Amino acid sequence: MVDDPDAKAGADARHLESCPECQARLKTMSDDARAVATLLAAPDVKVDVSAAFSRVRSAPQARPALGFRLPVTRPGSRPMVLAFAATIAIAALLVTAFAQNFKTFVSPNTVTPVPVTVADMQALSQLSDYGTVTWTTQPQMQVATTAAEAAAVSGLQPPKVAKLPAGVSSTVTYAAMTKAVAVFTFSADKASAAEAKNGKSLPPLPSGMNGAQLTVAVGPAVGEVYGDLKRANGSDVSSANLPQLVVGKSVTPSATSTQVSVKQLEDYILSLPGITPELKAAIKAIGDPSALVWSGSRAASCTRSPARSSSQTPSTSRITSPDPAPLA
Amino acid sequence: MNVQAHRVSAVSSDDEAFEALFAAEYARVVGIANRVLTDPAEAEDVAQEVFIDFHRLHSARAQYAPAWLHRAAAHAALNRLRGAKRRQRRELAQAPDEDDRTLDPQKQLELNEDRRQVRQALARLAPKPAAVLVLRASGLSYAEVAQALGVGIGQVGTLLRRAEAALRKEVTSGTSN
Repeated sequence: MVDDPDAKAGADARHLESCPECQARLKTMSDDARAVATLLAAPDVKVDVSAAFSRVRSAPQARPALGFRLPVTRPGSRPMVLAFAATIAIAALLVTAFAQNFKTFVSPNTVTPVPVTVADMQALSQLSDYGTVTWTTQPQMQVATTAAEAAAVSGLQPPKVAKLPAGVSSTVTYAAMTKAVAVFTFSADKASAAEAKNGKSLPPLPSGMNGAQLTVAVGPAVGEVYGDLKRANGSDVSSANLPQLVVGKSVTPSATSTQVSVKQLEDYILSLPGITPELKAAIKAIGDPSALVWSGSRAASCTRSPARSSSQTPSTSRITSPDPAPLA
Repeated sequence: MNVQAHRVSAVSSDDEAFEALFAAEYARVVGIANRVLTDPAEAEDVAQEVFIDFHRLHSARAQYAPAWLHRAAAHAALNRLRGAKRRQRRELAQAPDEDDRTLDPQKQLELNEDRRQVRQALARLAPKPAAVLVLRASGLSYAEVAQALGVGIGQVGTLLRRAEAALRKEVTSGTSN
């Protein structure tokens, strides 16, 4: 409305004529817009396009990997971006929650690749059958073109991998995430319904389990994603290329629970008879400390190396690379 | 598909497509960076880095190419602005441009000081509000801003109004300190 007169039409225009409060707000906004237009004024730049193109073409870094597509930066793939971000964020939250049970803190000197499939990540979404997940602070995910840009968003410098494992593409994309806080609330009713759907009944609830809340804070985080990413083919997300190696760094996450301990919550969910093998495997996989490399300092690093997904079958096996990638 | 995209997709090879994209978008990408940096030479550096990054990873035939370039230019320039060392160097070296030289020295000093304070305020904003201001001030339409930032076109007006209020507040607090 402020800089588009055509937007001031119909019911909005009639309301505006008779509402002093909205008139005042519009005036404030118009003043802001005019002031900012003046503040950001800059003289036009005269450019020599031919000379600039010659410089760009002769830059060694410009030798192209043409044809490569970054699915996460393509505006048209926004739903997939959100789904991808959500699964990564859920994985990060579960890593945080269940890693609290393991007190093994080691220095992040090496990266141990562990395969994770699309099916693994899809399975985690089944947790919503047993309660509700709400964000009290939504994570903002951003794909960056440079390490500096990712650092500016997250406040953390992306880690450097001195030597990539054999077979891992050197194509790197940077990603940054702001702080996120999520609350998982276990619901006996939802869990009971989920179990009943599978012909099972809910095991006796430990005291305080119903309504128990797990609050998890992660991030900010920054990561390098190696691999030639590819969008899913239509709805068949298994056809997407997952990253070959993800190296991430995050401020030490925290998890707190009410009514029951984090370990009690994990054990109870894993004990449910109707829980799918995929979800059980995913939770166990995420909770496996051998898949994580944590530092004891303020900033922690963890890595996952998802294999290229070619089927819906969950991967429960662990393949430890004989040639871990040293961190610079 | 817009006219530029047609032009890019009509050419035969990837190299030709990139050259066509460069010719179509370079001045605009420089303009976005210069809106942030008010330093034409540094703005051209940023623009060239953005094109190099794009060329390394993407096909110039991609429909999203202009939106990607606009967004990357805004973010890259804002990141430079936030770099303390570079900012100090730029402020010291900032020479008056051709139009500014017609001003008397006192007005020139005031203009430079205003620009410095505005850019410092811009650097303190969160990335998204800063980018939406820069892109709109660089002449991008609401639709182009929406594409560049990956938001719905209906959100652009709201984002802009909030960002404008935030920038004015930052500028005011900066000058009152």
